[in-house]
Amino acid sequence: MQLRMNNVHKFYGEGDNRVEVLRGINCEVNDGEICVLLGPSGSGKSTLLNIIGGIESADEGCIDIGEDCTSDMSENDLTLYRRDHLGFVFQFYNLIPNLTVKENIEVCAYLSKEPLEINELLKTLGLYEHKDKLPSQLSGGQQQRCAIGRALVKNPAILLCDEPTGALDYRTSKEILALIELINQKYHNTIIIVTHNNAISGMAHRVLKMHDGQIVSNSMNHAVISAKDLDW
Amino acid sequence: MKNPLNKRLPREFKKNAGKYIGIFIILVTTIVLGSSFMATMDSAVLTIEQNDVECKIEDGQFEVMEPVSQAIKEQFADKGVILTENYYSTVNDFDGDARVLVFNERTELNLPSLFEGSLPDAKDEIALERIFARNREIQVGDAITLNNLQFTVVGIMAVPDYSSLFKSNQDLLMNTEDFGISLVTKEGFARFDENTLTYRYSYAFEDEDISKSEEKELIGEMQKALLLEGSMIQSFLPAVNNQSITFLREDMGKDGPVMQVFIYILIVIIAFVFAILTNNTIESEATIIGTLRASGYKKKEIIAHYLSPTIVIAIVSSVIGNGLGYTVMLKPFENLYYSTYSIAPIDIRFNFEAFVTSTILPVVLMILINWFMIYRKLSLSPLKFLRKDLNKKRQKRAVKLPDFSFLTRFRIRVLLQNKINYLILFVGVFISSFLLMFGLGLQPLIDHYVEEIDDSLTYEYQYMLKAPVEVSNAEKLQVYSLKTWYELGKKDISVSFMGITEDSQFFEEIKLPEDEKAVTVSKPFADKMNVSEGDEIVFKDEYYDKEYTLYVEDVCDYKGSLTVFMERENLNAMLGYDSKAYSAYLSNEKLAIDDEYLAKIITRSDMVGAAGQMMKSFEGVLTIVSVFSVVIYMILMYILTKTVVEKNALAISFMKVFGYNSKEIGKLYLNATGIVVIASLVICIPAEVLCFKYILVYIGSMVEGYIPFYLPAWVYVAIIAIGIVSYFAINALHLRKVKRIPMSEALKNRE
Repeated sequence: MQLRMNNVHKFYGEGDNRVEVLRGINCEVNDGEICVLLGPSGSGKSTLLNIIGGIESADEGCIDIGEDCTSDMSENDLTLYRRDHLGFVFQFYNLIPNLTVKENIEVCAYLSKEPLEINELLKTLGLYEHKDKLPSQLSGGQQQRCAIGRALVKNPAILLCDEPTGALDYRTSKEILALIELINQKYHNTIIIVTHNNAISGMAHRVLKMHDGQIVSNSMNHAVISAKDLDW
Repeated sequence: MKNPLNKRLPREFKKNAGKYIGIFIILVTTIVLGSSFMATMDSAVLTIEQNDVECKIEDGQFEVMEPVSQAIKEQFADKGVILTENYYSTVNDFDGDARVLVFNERTELNLPSLFEGSLPDAKDEIALERIFARNREIQVGDAITLNNLQFTVVGIMAVPDYSSLFKSNQDLLMNTEDFGISLVTKEGFARFDENTLTYRYSYAFEDEDISKSEEKELIGEMQKALLLEGSMIQSFLPAVNNQSITFLREDMGKDGPVMQVFIYILIVIIAFVFAILTNNTIESEATIIGTLRASGYKKKEIIAHYLSPTIVIAIVSSVIGNGLGYTVMLKPFENLYYSTYSIAPIDIRFNFEAFVTSTILPVVLMILINWFMIYRKLSLSPLKFLRKDLNKKRQKRAVKLPDFSFLTRFRIRVLLQNKINYLILFVGVFISSFLLMFGLGLQPLIDHYVEEIDDSLTYEYQYMLKAPVEVSNAEKLQVYSLKTWYELGKKDISVSFMGITEDSQFFEEIKLPEDEKAVTVSKPFADKMNVSEGDEIVFKDEYYDKEYTLYVEDVCDYKGSLTVFMERENLNAMLGYDSKAYSAYLSNEKLAIDDEYLAKIITRSDMVGAAGQMMKSFEGVLTIVSVFSVVIYMILMYILTKTVVEKNALAISFMKVFGYNSKEIGKLYLNATGIVVIASLVICIPAEVLCFKYILVYIGSMVEGYIPFYLPAWVYVAIIAIGIVSYFAINALHLRKVKRIPMSEALKNRE
């Protein structure tokens, strides 16, 4: 499913405090691409990710997903859009603390008409033997695997990852990136990764660089390297 | 410098206004209820005690066929017994069907207390008992006719020997509607026909500190003296067995602890609700607490900070609760006493003991419970707070659940996560639905009782005779009253023996035992005394100091009263009477029996009507109880489920991001509450029924009758329906709250 951003603007605050955080974003991400969104803090990358995810709305412009445009969608349509097409992975995992690993994944499986087979997915994630544990019993990396499983179980067309390795150490980060790469190869989802870690761009098909609310660079990576070979 | 944390207090109240207002309402209502009830009760008890002394309440009374001789009076006086004539004339047809006892002027015992006007001074003046006058809308200055004699009402009063208006000592319920007491002067009393008079004597012991055994001995001597003189004793009733005197005093004494327990249960619930709220606040502010502790704030300063909302709410509620309790809300409780009992004007006074019970102890209890909960929570190290690691257990394991559907498992997880909330909700549902059961069920219970009596009564009139007289169209029977020991009430109770014949047209269904030592007992008697076929019972004849041991051969369906049936010949033989002797007639028609032979007429309406009247005085209270129960129920449900929603606000926000809509989220989080509410309602009902039965037994132990337990199916349905409707109303409020939880919450909050 192709993702197109058309002249997206976003403002925060009012009057003298009004700040334009996205200043006319235009770009396309092709079906099945891994797209890395790079930029320093405050550059607007997370805001753009939230607008793509239908969590926030653009003040001007729109996001086209296939035939649909998010700016035309009602709140209910946006809910269905997230349900049917998107998966989210957050920096701090955001697992539901009183549900087990398997149940956390079931939270999203429940929303899908054709979810992936959960036990199979747990094995892919390396979490099968931890499936009955609570999040508090897992390491950070295992929690992020669980969060990825939760996002992935719906087999979404687009997987949005907001700093997925931001809270992890070097080794665990590489494991998670390898998992994302594996998922892309196995399920062919479009994956957008927001990060400030330049090294991650090595595994991306497309690299978008943002600065001060604008895309300052949109380039295809013709020398994609495997996540396990990334170094920083 | 003042503690800057104190500035958070008003903001905290503003932020969580709904929850604090809910707690405030329950707390104020509880304290108002407690303080006004205790103040009124204590003041009433003091007033009654004072009045008993000032008005010289009798120690007992007896009624005889003819006036006793001067010799007997002197004999009694020698024994230290003050004996005074307390004659009365019975008017059976006042204002249609009301019964009024007109007493002769009282000078020594049972003196009246005036509410309004004055005591009669002329022969055509009369003072009326207050409740009867009010129910019949009679005021000072009105003219009334009693047995064709004209009187002017000059005063409204109460007398201590009729503080509870029981028409007869065997009645189960008071009759405040068509039974009245009045007082006239000696000259006024002389106007009544001698045939309508009852020769009642009241007595009091000169020695106020007389022991029970001495009293019993003296009573025995008095009865013997009367019998030796040839007096026909119709009744002999020590004050301790006189419901008209004891019912109020026993009732008042026993209500206090029940109310106290009720208040404490409510306070403990409120305290735990408060503790849950505080606990949630502490968990959500863990990092702030960690930072404050790391910055040098002492544990006790943090405890004081988080305890302050409890202290403020408790103190403000107690001030307002007592203010309302001693002013606005005093009247309804005073009126409850005034509309139920005929007592002297209550002198309301501040009672420190009542204040401690209704206010100080509940407030201290609440602060202590909260202090303990906060203290425990804050015993963790600052680092644990900074890391938001507030679990005391090192590694919390997931409870393994069966392979239910995802939705079911999710709801079970919500239940497990909030088990304390739901446990308190369960207790709250139990108390509220019990109150509701009581509020809704008492009226149908009494109605059913009245209907049962009405259905089982096969006759319209029972004529009690002074002497045998032949009449047609009536059935003869021997009626005799004996006493038996009632273990639960720890007292003797009167049992009516009916000697009837095998061919009785009024008791066709009753199987009479042939064995002269066997009896058939009425169902109320069997239930109250907990006896069944084959059991032996000892009956006592107090006048003749005899005992009879009889066994139960059958339990019959007669619901009238505590009655024992025997063959008339057998009963007469047991009592030593002629085999054909009789003392009463049963008839469906009014009989023309000369007053000379007639002791008393008991009509169907006497037996049935009183119950209906009794309910009138309860109507207001039952409505208050019902409304109060629903209010507690809804507030508890609102607060406790709100904390569930708030605790899971972040998770709810994630769910929205994942694509759940508010309705689906509501189903996951709020339906768990629905399950608890419905399960609690259903599970609690058997326990509530048990409590209700226990209360009936408790009430039954205070009176001579027996009210069988009965609740129509609609009461159960109503309790569950009101519970479910309340749940849906609260659910709708929370759904709005769920809708308002923004998705940005998921993005802002970080672990």
